[in-house]
Amino acid sequence: MIVGLQIIYSSNGFDMTLFNLDSQPCSSLRRLLARWLVCGAVAVQSSWAAAQTDSFFKQHCIECHDASTKQGGLDLTSLKFELSPAESFGKWVKIHDRIESGEMPPKGQARPTAADRDAVVKHLKTEFIQAERQKLAGEPRTGIRRMTRAEYENTMRDLFEMPGLVLQNDLPPDGSAHGFDKNSDALDISHVNLAKYIEAADRVLNVAIAIQPEAPTVKTQRISLANPAGFVAHVLMNGDGVLLKNKQVDSEFPASGEQGHIDQGAHERMGSFHNGASVGLFRHEDESFHPYFNEFVAIYPAKYRLRTSLWSFTWDKGVVLPGRGTEAVRLSIVTLTGDGRGGGHPSSFLTHLDAPSMTEQQHEITTWFNQNDTIGLNTASLAPAANYFKKKRAMEFTGPGIVCDYLDVEGPLFESWPPPSHKRLFGDLPLVEFIAKDHPNVRPPKHEAHRQKMFMGKNVADPIKGLWTVQSEQPLVDADKLLAKFLPKAFRRPVEDAERQQYVDQVSERLKAGDCFETAMRWSYRLALCSPAFLYHSPAPAKSDTPATESRSLSDYALASRLSYFFWNSMPDDRLMELAAGDKLHQPDVLKSEVDRLLSSPKSQRFVEDFLGQWLKLRAIAANDADKKLYPEFSPYLQDSMVAETRAYFRELLDKNLSASHLIQSNFAMLNEKLATHYGIEGVTGSQMRRVDLPPDNPRGPFLTQAAILKITANGTTTSPVPRGAFVMDRLLGLPPDLPPSNVAAVEPDVRGATTIREQLAKHRDNRACAACHAKIDPPGFALEAFDVIGGQRGRYRSIGEGDAAPRGKIDPFIGISFKLGPTVDVSGSLPDGRPFKDVLEFQKLVAADSNRLLTNMAQRLTIYSIGRGLTFSDRDAIQRVVSNTQKQGGGIKTLIHEVVQSDLFQTR
Amino acid sequence: MPRTTFKLIRLLLVGLMVVISPGLVSADDKPAEPKLIKHQITGLFCPEREQDFKVLCEQKLAKFKLVSIDYANAEATFDYDPAKEFPGAKPEQVIERFDNEVRNVSRHTFGVKPLRTIPKEKLKLIELPIVGLDCKACSLAVYEIIFRLKGVEQATASFKSSKATALVDPEKIDQTEIEMALKQRGVTLKSAQ
Repeated sequence: MIVGLQIIYSSNGFDMTLFNLDSQPCSSLRRLLARWLVCGAVAVQSSWAAAQTDSFFKQHCIECHDASTKQGGLDLTSLKFELSPAESFGKWVKIHDRIESGEMPPKGQARPTAADRDAVVKHLKTEFIQAERQKLAGEPRTGIRRMTRAEYENTMRDLFEMPGLVLQNDLPPDGSAHGFDKNSDALDISHVNLAKYIEAADRVLNVAIAIQPEAPTVKTQRISLANPAGFVAHVLMNGDGVLLKNKQVDSEFPASGEQGHIDQGAHERMGSFHNGASVGLFRHEDESFHPYFNEFVAIYPAKYRLRTSLWSFTWDKGVVLPGRGTEAVRLSIVTLTGDGRGGGHPSSFLTHLDAPSMTEQQHEITTWFNQNDTIGLNTASLAPAANYFKKKRAMEFTGPGIVCDYLDVEGPLFESWPPPSHKRLFGDLPLVEFIAKDHPNVRPPKHEAHRQKMFMGKNVADPIKGLWTVQSEQPLVDADKLLAKFLPKAFRRPVEDAERQQYVDQVSERLKAGDCFETAMRWSYRLALCSPAFLYHSPAPAKSDTPATESRSLSDYALASRLSYFFWNSMPDDRLMELAAGDKLHQPDVLKSEVDRLLSSPKSQRFVEDFLGQWLKLRAIAANDADKKLYPEFSPYLQDSMVAETRAYFRELLDKNLSASHLIQSNFAMLNEKLATHYGIEGVTGSQMRRVDLPPDNPRGPFLTQAAILKITANGTTTSPVPRGAFVMDRLLGLPPDLPPSNVAAVEPDVRGATTIREQLAKHRDNRACAACHAKIDPPGFALEAFDVIGGQRGRYRSIGEGDAAPRGKIDPFIGISFKLGPTVDVSGSLPDGRPFKDVLEFQKLVAADSNRLLTNMAQRLTIYSIGRGLTFSDRDAIQRVVSNTQKQGGGIKTLIHEVVQSDLFQTR
Repeated sequence: MPRTTFKLIRLLLVGLMVVISPGLVSADDKPAEPKLIKHQITGLFCPEREQDFKVLCEQKLAKFKLVSIDYANAEATFDYDPAKEFPGAKPEQVIERFDNEVRNVSRHTFGVKPLRTIPKEKLKLIELPIVGLDCKACSLAVYEIIFRLKGVEQATASFKSSKATALVDPEKIDQTEIEMALKQRGVTLKSAQ
C-alpha cells in the first residue's frame, strides 16, 4: 500500500526522531507519523522538516480535525500519510493547498507565521513530488491513445482532401477525463470501435476512389424555395408566405386569404411554383415545417457552389412595404435519410446570411456535400408566427417576411480529375475500362454506380458506360511505390521497409487470390486505415540512443503530431513533416513560427470549436431549451448567436493576444444584431459577428457574462448561483469545488416567484456541512444572478405565478409574452476573503485582478487538452513557469499558448 | 336506361363519332387521310385557358395542327392524320393516345375526350359561387372536382368571378351532389357561409 514511500526512504533511511515522537500520546500527528514508520514508510524527508510539520499540525490543525471534532469530515488523526493511493494523495494535496492559500487555519484561529507556513508547505511539496516521481519513474506520462472521433474525421478529411466528409456521427462516443475527450484514460477501444473503423474506412475509400474516366459534369441547378418537394409550397397555399414578382404579389398566385389555395397538386401542375417568382416567408422552421431546397440532392460527394439572393420586407395584409431592418437566414446542410420524405432529417449549420430590407443581397458559399445532402433554409430572425389556421390567413397578417429569390447550386466542383483523394491512393496510374475477357481469372472491382437515390432530387448522375478501374502493368512494384508514399502520410511518421512490406504482401496475396489491382490495393489501404499506426497517437521517444534524462522527449514526428492535433485536431501537413524530417521542429524559433502558422490557418477553427466545446461546455448549449412561457424570446437563432459569440471572442483573444483578465472583464464584445439586441446594445446590424466596443459600465463581453455560458449553467427554467458559481470556480478560475455530500438535498427552483434562490440558499447554508463550500461557490453565482437563463440582464426574476405585468422591452412584437415580474434580484455578495461586491461589475473587477489565477487555469486547460493527460502535483512548477514566462511578456493568451508549446510538459511523453 | 348500357353505347359512339361542321365532315375513327377532327377538350375551364391551350399546341403539339377552339362548348378542331400519328392504333384507341400526349405535355392540366353525345338542350347549367378561389390553379382544382363527377358534361371555374359552373345531365346528377363533392375536398360555397 505504501510502496512509494518505502522506495523513497529506502535510500534515505528512517528518521528516528520522528519515531520517538510516537510516545507522546497527545499528538495525533505524531501517532500518525509513527504509524507510517511502523508500516515501513515515513512521511518526512528530514527530521527538522518533519518536526516543524508536526508542530504546525499540532498547533493549528488537530484541534478541529481530530477524531471527535472532525471538521469538514477530516480527521487528521486517522489519515495515513500514504501517497501511493490516489485518493489519499489527493487528500494530502488538498490539505497542502488549503494551508498554502492561507485558507487554513481559518479566520478567528491563531495564524501561523509565514515562515512556519512556508516551511510546512515546502516540506509537503517535496514529499509529494518525490512520491510522484518514484511512482512515474520510467513511464511515459501520456499514455498511448487512439484518436477521438473528431480527430479521426479531420484526419481522414485532410489525408484525402475531402474537407466535408462526415464520419464521426457513426463512431461510438468518446469518453472524457480531466475535462477533455483527448485523454488516454478515457479513450478505450472495443470490438464495436473496430467494426465501425472498418465501415468508415470502406466509406472513405468508396468516396476517394474515382470510378469514371472523366469528372462528373458541372451543372447549375436553379431551385425555388417553393419547390414542391419541400414544405414551402404547402404553407404558401395557406398564407404563411407569398409568391412575389418585382417586389409585388405574383398576380398568378395571390396571397391566401379567406380560404387557403385549393389542391396543391393542381398548383404544381399549373406551374405556380416554377414560374420564376420569389418566395416570401413569414414563418420560420418548426416541428412541422422544414423548408428544404430538395429538388437538389447531392449525388457526388464534392464541393458545390451555392448562390442565393435574399431580402426582407414588411407584409401588410396584401401589400409589400419596406422591412424593419436586416433579417437573417440560416442555411444548413440536411442529410436526407430513408427515402427523403418528410422533415426533421439530421442537419448541420452552414451559415447565417443577411436579408436587407427591399434590397436583394447576393450571397455565394462554397461547401462540401456528401451523398444525399440537400440544403435547408430557415428564416432565422422571424418570430414563430403561423397564419396557417388563422381566419383570412395572409390577408389579415401584418409583419416581417424574408424573401429568397432563388438558390443556384453549381457542381460538383473538382479542381482536377482524378481528384486528389484518388491520387493519394493511386498516384498517376491510368484509369482504364475493365474488360473482363482481357483479364481472365481476375475479379472485376466492385463499384456502386453514382445515382440519384432520392425521388425528389431532380439532378441526375452522368451515365457512365463500362467499368473503369486503375491499371498497373507492374502491380507489386506500383503497390510498393504507392504505399511508400501513403503510409508515412497516414501514420504521421517514417515507415520502415519491413513495415511497408507487410502491406505490399497483403496486395500480393489478394492479387494471387484473383482480385484486380484496385481491389487488392484497397484491401491494403483499408488495413492501414484500421491499423494502430493510423488510429493511435504514437508518442515515440526522440531516439533510441537518447540519454535517460531525455528519454521522455518526443521525437520530432511525435511533436509534429502533437502540434497539429492541438491546433488543427488533425494530422500534420507536409510542412510540419518536412521540419520533423530535418530535426528542426524542436528549435524554439521554428516551433514558435509553426504555432503562429497553424493558428493562422482556417483549420485552427477546429481547435477553437473543440477546445471551447469542452472547456466551456459549449457542446452542451442545447442540453435544455428555455421555458417558452418564461423566455418566449429564446430562439435557435439566438442560441446559434450565443455559440458564435463565444467562439469569435476566443478567436479575438488569440488573434490580438489579449490577457487572461478578458475571461472575466472586457471593454468589447463580439456580437451580431441578434445578440446585441438581446444584450440591449444599439447600432449592430446583420447576422455576422463583429467586435463592438463597450462602455466601462457594461458587463458584457467576457466569457463570464456571455449568454452561452449563462445558458449552459442554467436549467432552462431557473438560475441557481450554485451551478453557475461552480462553473466559474472550476472552468474559469481552475478551483473546482468538491462534489456535494450525497445526503444533502439539492435546492429546487421556485418558478412561482414566491421565494428567491438566495433565500433558499441561505437556509441551505445553515447546514454547517454546506457552509464552507458554499462560501466559495455562491459568490460568483450571486453576481451572475444579474442574468437570466438565456443570458438576458435582469433586475427582477421572471415568474409564471405571482408578480407584476412585464413590459415587452426589446422582445420582438410578434412574440406573445405571458410571464410576470417577481422578486427583485440581489446580486451582491462577498468573495471568500471577505471583499464585498454590490453588482456584477464590481465582481468582475475583483476577480479579473487575479490574472495569475486566470492564466494558471488557462495554462492548465490548454496543457491538458494538448498533451492528452491530466496534470499532477509535480507538474505545478512547470505550469507556474509557463505562467510566469507569459506574465513577463504581457500575459497574452497567444503568448501563453507559445509558452505551453515550448514547455517540457508539451514536448515530453 | 341502365348506366352500363349507356356506357356501352357511348363506347360504340366513340368509334363511330362523326363531327358535323359546315363543309367539313370527319370522324375520329377513320384514320385514312389527314382530316379535320373535333374533340372535346378538358381543362378549358376559363377563357384565359383558350390562350394557354393555343400556346401548348404551338409549342408542344405541333404535329396536331390546331385549327380552332370553341371555348363555349370546350371543343377544338385539329388537322391530323390518326393513322400517321398513332400507327397501329385501333379507332377507339386514337382518342386515348391523343389524350395521353396532351396530358403529358400539359402536366395533366388539359386532356382530350370524345365529343358530347347528349344534346346541349337536355343539359342543365348549375352555377356555384365559391369562396376562396384565389388563382387559376385553384380554379383548375375546383374544375377537376366538378368535371370528374359522373353526369357532368362540361364545367368552368373562374377565380375572377369566384364562380364555377357545371353543365350536367339532370338524370345523373344534381346540384346537391356537386356541392357535396366540393365540400368534401375542402371547398367552401358562398351559400354555405
